Amino acid sequence: MKRKAVRKPRSARTKRTAVRKSHAPAGTKQLDAIDSLVTAGAQALGLPLDPAWRDGVIGNLRLILRHAALVDEFPLPDDAEPAAVFHA
Amino acid sequence: MLETANIDFAWSAAANIAAAVAAGRISAVSVVEATLARIRERDPLLNSFTAVTEQRALLRAQALDDARASGERLGPLAGVPFAVKNLFDIAGLPTIAGSKIHRDAPPATRDAALIERLEAAGAVLVGALNMGEYAYDFTGENIHDGASRNPHDLDRMTGGSSGGSGAAVAGGLVPLALGSDTNGSIRVPSSLCGIFGLKPTYGRLTRARSFPFVASLDHLGPFARTTRDLALAYDAMQGFDPDDTACADRAAEPIVPLLERGAEGLRVAVAGGYFKCRTAAAVYAMDRVAAALGANRDIEIVEAERARSAAFIITASEGASLHLDRLRTRAKEFDPAVRDRLLAGAIAPASLIIKAQKFRRWYRSEVLKLFAEVDVILALATPCTAPLIGQQTFMFGDAELPVRANLGLYTQPISFIGLPVVAVPVPLAPLPIAVQIIAAPWREDVALRTAHALERQGVVAAPRPAL
Repeated sequence: MKRKAVRKPRSARTKRTAVRKSHAPAGTKQLDAIDSLVTAGAQALGLPLDPAWRDGVIGNLRLILRHAALVDEFPLPDDAEPAAVFHA
Repeated sequence: MLETANIDFAWSAAANIAAAVAAGRISAVSVVEATLARIRERDPLLNSFTAVTEQRALLRAQALDDARASGERLGPLAGVPFAVKNLFDIAGLPTIAGSKIHRDAPPATRDAALIERLEAAGAVLVGALNMGEYAYDFTGENIHDGASRNPHDLDRMTGGSSGGSGAAVAGGLVPLALGSDTNGSIRVPSSLCGIFGLKPTYGRLTRARSFPFVASLDHLGPFARTTRDLALAYDAMQGFDPDDTACADRAAEPIVPLLERGAEGLRVAVAGGYFKCRTAAAVYAMDRVAAALGANRDIEIVEAERARSAAFIITASEGASLHLDRLRTRAKEFDPAVRDRLLAGAIAPASLIIKAQKFRRWYRSEVLKLFAEVDVILALATPCTAPLIGQQTFMFGDAELPVRANLGLYTQPISFIGLPVVAVPVPLAPLPIAVQIIAAPWREDVALRTAHALERQGVVAAPRPAL
């Protein structure tokens, strides 16, 4: 069935005053930074990090940061409220 | 008690079982005995159960038969066998949540609230169901208990993390099951196994005495083979519960009486853009459903891809926070794939997670505006039909994507803001696939009425596997 669009997407890009790029450096430097973050984060939080797990954790953190970069580049006003549930 | 031999328990609707038990045409004990026998016979193939509560079920069924004999009126789910994902507390059993670690947890002292509510309506719990470890899964695989298997092809995934729930209902072991859905774990198994699943509005059904995953995204809901059964179970489970801080203080809004209103007059659109179908099966399924509902327009769910990313990182972070102590002390006992994701989530910077929660509120306000134009939005439930167990990637248009991370591609942007969804199975051969019927918050009635209308037209149905 042929369908017609009734609503144009209101792209967030049209709202942006400036589109920021990811702050993470590319390539080897990024990998090194994530590697360091995993080492430091595990130590600071008291988490075990078996050498055999490192690549898996680094790969997953890289994926999280890739998704996070997409969220981070989206401009939000200073008074934006988080959506977490809390009832006083 | 004369009809037992004539009833096909393996494919009977819960509504029909309840009517027969309430009328005294069959006994609850005979229903439960047949169910237990079927589990013994078929579950070695499906691997859907991790515990069968045989004695409890038989005692409960006998109590129902005794109540009826003494003139009591039985509830709307009288004698209906059901099972629950093993993250629901069952009194006397440890709540393992798909893990090895929780096998040595003390037994639960009380049933989960939703089990209590279903049993108050006459249903009979027969066991606990397999699931992905700690619900961090879209595949239905479990390193400790083995993969639950798709009844339509035993070599294929059920989808997860409520994989046992999908297999048990689609495989004819029980007509009704409960699962949880944080990012798609009711809708994905519904799609891959070809059954109906309801993920209600966030906060609608109590989660009291169930093991959490991501508190701000966790939902519980039912699976069934008909929309009426889904509605019967849902109605029995509604209502405020102070034991779940996220449970909304709303009165129950029964849907069964509204089902026959159908979809007449509802404005239906198909989600475009990010949700565009990319396989032949997907296009066919969506076109069939859209045509049956007269949906001749597309609508854009703005920033859906970003919403999925935000759900992804909130999940990793909140999930890691939940398991932080266990990661410190028992990391080697996790499924390695789950452990690596949780460790990464624990290390992810908090500033990014808070930003995702802020984006979530913005996204919610934008998506809710769409419901001024439409009542129902249609989107596919999964990007593909059931992959093979162990399959690592699948083709998504021209792109090859990892299975584990992407089966929830279409479900995550919807549950991210808690919208109610009914997953409806389109019975394609050889494998089914489901469409999400998405409604505005608290309008489960709209989603279920639409699903029921499609079912009556024969467009959606739970296909019976050749087991």
